[in-house]
Amino acid sequence: MISFRDVSVTYPNGTVGLDGVTLEIPAGQFVVVVGLSGAGKSTLIRTINGLVPVTGGELEVDGVRVDGATPRRLRALRSRIGMIFQSFNLVGRVTVLRNVLVGRLHATPLVPSLVGYVRASDREQAFVALERVGIVDKAYVRANQLSGGQQQRVAIARALAQDPAVILADEPVASLDPPTANMVMRDLQRINAELGITTIVNLHFLDLARRYAHRIIGMRAGQVVFDGTPAEADDAVFEHIYGRSLTADDVLTDDLEALESDVPESSHGTSGAGA
Amino acid sequence: MTATAKSASAPPSARPRKPRTGPGAYLAALAVIAITVWAAVGIEFDLSPLWTDLGRGWFIIQEFLQPNWAFIARTVGPWTETLSIALIATTVGCTIGLGMALLASRVTTANPVLYRAAKLFLSVVRSLPDVGYGLLFFALVGAGSLAGILALIMFNIGIIAKLTSETIDAVDRGPLEAADAAGAHALQRARYVVTPSILPNYLSYCLYVLELNIRASVVIGIVGGGGIGATLSVEFARFNYSNVSAIVVLLFVVVFSIDLVSQSIRRRLA
Repeated sequence: MISFRDVSVTYPNGTVGLDGVTLEIPAGQFVVVVGLSGAGKSTLIRTINGLVPVTGGELEVDGVRVDGATPRRLRALRSRIGMIFQSFNLVGRVTVLRNVLVGRLHATPLVPSLVGYVRASDREQAFVALERVGIVDKAYVRANQLSGGQQQRVAIARALAQDPAVILADEPVASLDPPTANMVMRDLQRINAELGITTIVNLHFLDLARRYAHRIIGMRAGQVVFDGTPAEADDAVFEHIYGRSLTADDVLTDDLEALESDVPESSHGTSGAGA
Repeated sequence: MTATAKSASAPPSARPRKPRTGPGAYLAALAVIAITVWAAVGIEFDLSPLWTDLGRGWFIIQEFLQPNWAFIARTVGPWTETLSIALIATTVGCTIGLGMALLASRVTTANPVLYRAAKLFLSVVRSLPDVGYGLLFFALVGAGSLAGILALIMFNIGIIAKLTSETIDAVDRGPLEAADAAGAHALQRARYVVTPSILPNYLSYCLYVLELNIRASVVIGIVGGGGIGATLSVEFARFNYSNVSAIVVLLFVVVFSIDLVSQSIRRRLA
């Protein structure tokens, strides 16, 4: 359970990232956060693992306060929260397995890990994580030799290797082509369903948000302006979140038929989006 | 096609005028010339010895032009010593240099006191040239290969740490953030993200330092660091110019071939 109580973030340069956000995210939920760039989606996600420090309010993850946590506490908290990024953030020059093992570092004694010693149990856990995303055969391939979709799966495996209670994904499909984007989203959906890991994903494509989310949170200017189910999030709601009418850029798939069969309740919006 | 047709039919817009070059550039050039002339006059710089004294040194040049190839056989020992000095210093200096580089980058050293101390230490280390360290260690431990090795190690730490810490500063932030988000310790992050990312650059700097060390170890040998430099200095003192020229010719060959090998490896690393 993640709970925000009147959380605010003001960056050192004065930019307001979050403006009085109050939210509760129960364990196991698949939440999609939508909003234009600069709306505070990324800030919201990064406060949860303390990558962005909170400047006001209270933030708790599984009963542990994130605001004001000591570095040691913060590391312990982060070990239970996996994170996936838009640009995958793998170390390109080393193998897939080495990258996934980064997810085990929190559990490895410091000195052995610094001399490069890998425990058999950690290696096995990394293999299990790779198996879950279906690329265990690439374990000894250098990460930068994989395609974008495969690299994002490695990044998911790295997060899974942490054995996390929560997975945060910051625009995980923004650098991928539409079929690959859907595959990665399905991976996240499956992991959420099978392992019960709370999953919070930032997206800006409304069709993906509707297709995969249990719950959609809309953000605008650092505030939560919508919080509801995908069924409630019709085009009017998205126009309210985005503060403008919808365009073709707001959906991932430009194939109208595919869109309409996937999200029948928004056929009006998709014809508008396609035009 | 349509774009070009459009631009051709459109009335030409006014072209911006080239901004004037200010007087600053000319003044700076004049200042450089003036200072150079002033410095030359100050030390009574004069090229005439180059031809007036040429005749006096003619017998030296003649000896130089007849290298004593037989002497080369007797320089195998000193040459081995020089190459060993260069290799040992490169290995030790580059290893310490990597550690110092990690301390001297904000990416790997969050503690501002430690980071500043490392930076300060490195600028002090770099302020003394290789020959300076040669003389220093000659005074401390006496003539011989130990003085040469210690001098080169100090020289190498300065170079490697500077180049490598600047490479660390430029490491992609994404994987660093990913390691942080996974709850990794700062040292683990340095080991698993920073080190592999900078490795090709770092190895290339190490080979570059090896090239420098072969050359520098000759000079340091002259000031008491052992190896072929010491032999060179002895032969000079005995006016055995044909022996000196044999060493110099071989020096060209050795330095050139090591540079070639090192550069071909560095190209493959990039």
